[in-house]
Amino acid sequence: MSMQALISGAECATTSNPLSQVLKHAEGDRSIQRVRVTAGPSSSLYRLPPSSSQAPSAADLAAARQFFEQQQQQSRGPALPSFDVERLRNMNMSPGGHATPPPAAVDMAGAWQGAARPTFSPQLTPGGSHAAWASEFELHRQTASPSAQTAEPMYRPSAFMSQRQFQPYMPMQSWTPPVAVSGKGKGRMTDADFDAAFAALSTHSSAKIEEVDELTEGLQDASLQDNDYMSEFQKSWEEVKKNAANNPLSQPAAEELARWEAQFNQLNSESRLDDDLDYDKQLQEAYEQSFNQYDIHEPGVRIGEDGVPDFGAYQFEQDNKYMVEDAQSRSFLAEARDLLANNGSLTEAALLLEAAIQKGDTGKGGYEAWVLLGETRSMDEREEAAMKALAEGTRLAAEAGDPTQGLMSLAISYTNESYERASYNTLLRWLKARYPGVEVPPPSDMQSPWALHAQVQDAFLAVARGQHTSGAAVDPELQIGLGVLFYTDSQFDKAQDCFETALGANPNDYLLWNRLGSCLSNGSKPEEALGAYRQALELRPTYTRAIYNVGVACLNIGAYEEAAKHFLSALAMQETGNGGADGAGNDKSAQLWTTLQRCFTYMNRNDLAEMARKAAPVNSFRLEGFDF
Amino acid sequence: MSADLKEEGFQASEVLVAIATSFAGLSEDEKKAQIKKVNAIFELQLKNGSGKTGTWTIDLKKTGSVYKGPAKPKADVTIIMDDATFVDLASGKLDGQKAFMTGKLKAKGNIMLATKLDSVFKSAQGKAKAKL
Repeated sequence: MSMQALISGAECATTSNPLSQVLKHAEGDRSIQRVRVTAGPSSSLYRLPPSSSQAPSAADLAAARQFFEQQQQQSRGPALPSFDVERLRNMNMSPGGHATPPPAAVDMAGAWQGAARPTFSPQLTPGGSHAAWASEFELHRQTASPSAQTAEPMYRPSAFMSQRQFQPYMPMQSWTPPVAVSGKGKGRMTDADFDAAFAALSTHSSAKIEEVDELTEGLQDASLQDNDYMSEFQKSWEEVKKNAANNPLSQPAAEELARWEAQFNQLNSESRLDDDLDYDKQLQEAYEQSFNQYDIHEPGVRIGEDGVPDFGAYQFEQDNKYMVEDAQSRSFLAEARDLLANNGSLTEAALLLEAAIQKGDTGKGGYEAWVLLGETRSMDEREEAAMKALAEGTRLAAEAGDPTQGLMSLAISYTNESYERASYNTLLRWLKARYPGVEVPPPSDMQSPWALHAQVQDAFLAVARGQHTSGAAVDPELQIGLGVLFYTDSQFDKAQDCFETALGANPNDYLLWNRLGSCLSNGSKPEEALGAYRQALELRPTYTRAIYNVGVACLNIGAYEEAAKHFLSALAMQETGNGGADGAGNDKSAQLWTTLQRCFTYMNRNDLAEMARKAAPVNSFRLEGFDF
Repeated sequence: MSADLKEEGFQASEVLVAIATSFAGLSEDEKKAQIKKVNAIFELQLKNGSGKTGTWTIDLKKTGSVYKGPAKPKADVTIIMDDATFVDLASGKLDGQKAFMTGKLKAKGNIMLATKLDSVFKSAQGKAKAKL
């Protein structure tokens, strides 16, 4: 794995002082650009030979682990000039303060890293009991064999109990990015919960570590001595009282917590809404409004009660060359499967699948072809078609008694297109289908717009935790779902950990590599993102979406010409399958064009931007000197 | 146009200028896509340290613009908070959910749209977004 070549050695990984490293970037350090982060001519990035073995081998697992460890060592802040609210703020607030405060997002990550690192390990809290527990925990962790990385789940009860804020249904807002704290050099994925637990137990200024009913369970599990923990707890309670306006209790005895919870909810609800409005009426109105807004995203797209958009039936391509052929002699479905397995053109595969479906060959359970079609379209950067196909596929799968099929992909498509509520509800559907026994408590705070997200996230976390305590194998799909939930909440570091865990189990899953890449990219780690995308493309060179994402990463680090080449090659690949003509109703990936247009604008080439705006034939760009 | 947005004593106005600038820099298609994704008119009522309240509107439903004053014709959601809270939200120091829970952020109207404010800030940063 030539990760080293990819991640330049030009920058020292100044992880001990993230602020300095970030300041370097803010001052316009472009040395990253000078080094070819795409590791060679762009064409080689995705025309690499496909990997032959499909099953995760020991070598793959080791390589994946190596990738993560390298990442951990080389994690660094972003190099992006960005809309600098922090700067604005500091300019007003601290006259005479230094001139270049770091971009806000980075600062947060950097600050967390910086803060968490020194407080890692033994010296966490008052009370020797913690140290004892820590060493016990550590032993426990070390006995898990490396090949059981998959068996090592992300979250443990201890992690949870220390993370939860005073509202039980709230997700862990105060997690530190685990990456910073794994000072022992082990793979990041196995450290997540462990590190987070310790980091949070430390006296970080904004970490609110007060507990609710979880605490009592947690205490028993971890066999802590009550005295030490309670005093720490009481300290944080004092903090809470000072900060939270409506904390009615003074003495958090365990049995009163539930009562407090209810009171707190009530008080908070009263303070949040306006006094003169009738809360019930307002909530009613708000819900009605959101349901009645047909055109939340598009005029004509009806959005259901659960936020799920209804795009109507799937529109098959009009000019499908396979449709005129004699169906008897060929199994389009089998051919499509072969094509996908051998990294053929995604557009071809989609056509084959459409032909198969139209001829009635829908595969296993009547849903297989649909789900495959949806996933293919999604990979090919045609999200609306993907959503339609997956909606149909998941519906059929549920009818066929195989209800988890395709739901994860559908949820991800919704996420990409900003249909967040649909995504949460789809994930919930998946969870209930996959774990029928699991109890999902209703959202505790119905009036909060974030309630649904919190509810679903908590449900996922509960199952993940349960898997850990019972010693069951970690479910990679559960991790993926959790990752998606963190991703929609912009908690990219946590999402990253989830996807890495899932990758531990499936190192050859190119979809996962792409998803990991996007977490890294949106989490402002473009160089690492490129590494992940490269993995995805090595496994599937025709993965249009991954190519788009590579372009986006290049764009974000300022490598505009590189970015343009990638977008153009993605567009070229889309063109080849269809001869340029597009079928009825299938969006031809407007996003590729608009991002390409933006690219050209940054390059100050308005002529090219105009061509992109008009979606000129891809060849005309070759004539302009772009080699792809 | 940006000059109209500024208001003395409000740090938020700087942020709003930045948001307006980023909207102006979008191509027509990109703006349309943004409007499609958000489809909301946010009216912001921000109170600063000296007790004054300033009102601005972010229109991501019809025009894709930011202007001072209440929403015309009508806001989909009105968000009420402190000047400082707004700046924290925009810079990512505070997240919407926490703000809401602690009562720092109040919403009137279609409160579900309050979650979209996060994405407005993100897109104003001008970074292209990767896809899962």
